[in-house]
Amino acid sequence: MLSKIFEALYFKVLVNIVVKRASTVVYIETLSKKRSISTIHSEFDTKECNKKMQDFIKDYIKESPYYYISLLDRATVQGAIPTCEKHKRLYYYSDLNDTKYKCYNRKWTYYTSKSELYKIEKIYKEIGLDFIFSPFVLLNEFFQDKIDEGKLALYVLIEETYISLAVFENTQLLYAEHLDIEAASEFDDILLSNDIQEDLELGLEEEGIDLENMDVEDDDDEIELEDFGDIEDLDSLEDIDEFDDSKDVEEELLESEDVLEESNEDRFNEDYQRFSLIQTSVAHYYKDERYESKFLENIYIADGIGVSSDLKKYLEEEMFFNVYIRRVELDAEICELTKRELDL
Amino acid sequence: MKYSYIEPRKKTPFTPDIQLIITFFSITLIMLFSTYAFLLFKNHMFVKDRQNYVSSRIDLQNSIDRLDQKIAYIKKQKALSEKVFTQNMVLKDSINNLFDLVPERITLSRAELLENGLILYGITPSKDVYNFMLQAPLRSIFQKTYSSFYPQKNGWLRFVSTNYINEDEGEELNSED
Repeated sequence: MLSKIFEALYFKVLVNIVVKRASTVVYIETLSKKRSISTIHSEFDTKECNKKMQDFIKDYIKESPYYYISLLDRATVQGAIPTCEKHKRLYYYSDLNDTKYKCYNRKWTYYTSKSELYKIEKIYKEIGLDFIFSPFVLLNEFFQDKIDEGKLALYVLIEETYISLAVFENTQLLYAEHLDIEAASEFDDILLSNDIQEDLELGLEEEGIDLENMDVEDDDDEIELEDFGDIEDLDSLEDIDEFDDSKDVEEELLESEDVLEESNEDRFNEDYQRFSLIQTSVAHYYKDERYESKFLENIYIADGIGVSSDLKKYLEEEMFFNVYIRRVELDAEICELTKRELDL
Repeated sequence: MKYSYIEPRKKTPFTPDIQLIITFFSITLIMLFSTYAFLLFKNHMFVKDRQNYVSSRIDLQNSIDRLDQKIAYIKKQKALSEKVFTQNMVLKDSINNLFDLVPERITLSRAELLENGLILYGITPSKDVYNFMLQAPLRSIFQKTYSSFYPQKNGWLRFVSTNYINEDEGEELNSED
């Protein structure tokens, strides 16, 4: 009772932290009761929590004892599985010992690596953390209106270095995957360098380009395309008409307000990489027998960085998706999640 | 904790700053109340002392009154004693004068001093000696003088001399006292 009175007397300071590729965004919202009275947005050139950032946050949190620091989980090993039942979790994810998992509305589970959580808490030990949110929860909350409609669709949250994608139908998660762009690109670089090295070695040995190897790579591409053989089958006029009927007019109107930026070369590469990851992940969804595979025709993208129109073009042209992109302010969304946690 | 992986830290309004302020105010209030209590106690003690002083003052006043009364009584006693002493002196002088009046040839055997008179008993060789040597001075003092003689075997005369002062003069003499 007394604590409620004190709580009503003080402001609430919500500090929301989003870590980007080479910087950290800090968004601070000050609330009086349930009304927002000020917002501050600042970016720091660090991925950790340097002195400047600590001082900045401490300046605001010292105004009230009721401050909450939230962070979007950036663990590499994290994800979501379409069940809340304990005995079924192992079916989807084998390493549950080092995993912290939580059930969402008794429908599906999101998890993250315990060791990475400790690592994150250690990084922010100077200021401390109150909430760490999964990007899947953020995705669910952000597209709540669409998910509640119950239509099958792929929902994607795009951050600078991560992509979180989830398939929902009738508010039930069917499939989810968390992808690290940097790890994937490093993996590609390693593969590429290995290939180059092999080519060089073969070249040294045979003093020429081995055309057979090139053929093999072409074969691999064919195999990848075969994964979407079902999609090609749908390229009949009837199916296309059916797709047109199911288009989300409201979302298109919303999207038309946000003009997508023209791509430059770097962004083109990144967007292509994102497209590749989404493509691989969707293929995985279709192929993996553990998941209930259903044909996807709509993709809703929560764009946290400002993707170029190329990504949309790829998804539409290569994967025949109806693509709807909605701009998301990650820091503000984390703030909304914090408010929901605190019932504000 | 609906969505978050971790529990929020316990929030308390009692930050170190607030704790310091509360401690400061608590100490200040304790000091104020203790000072107030001390003043109340001292005030109570002063009131009590004042009552004691007032009652002792009244007692002293009463004792002073009693002493004044005693002093007045003693003064009266002193005045009375002085008066008695004076009267005794007058009486003594009167008796000395009386005895000085008696000539050597007459012997007094008894003298009675009355309030307004004198009765003398004695022996005289003759009536003339008595009349000339004792009755004459007595008559100058007393207005009424009566004498009676009784002869003795040896020829001398026993006498009784009764002398009175007039009452009016006696009163005048008393009022002068």
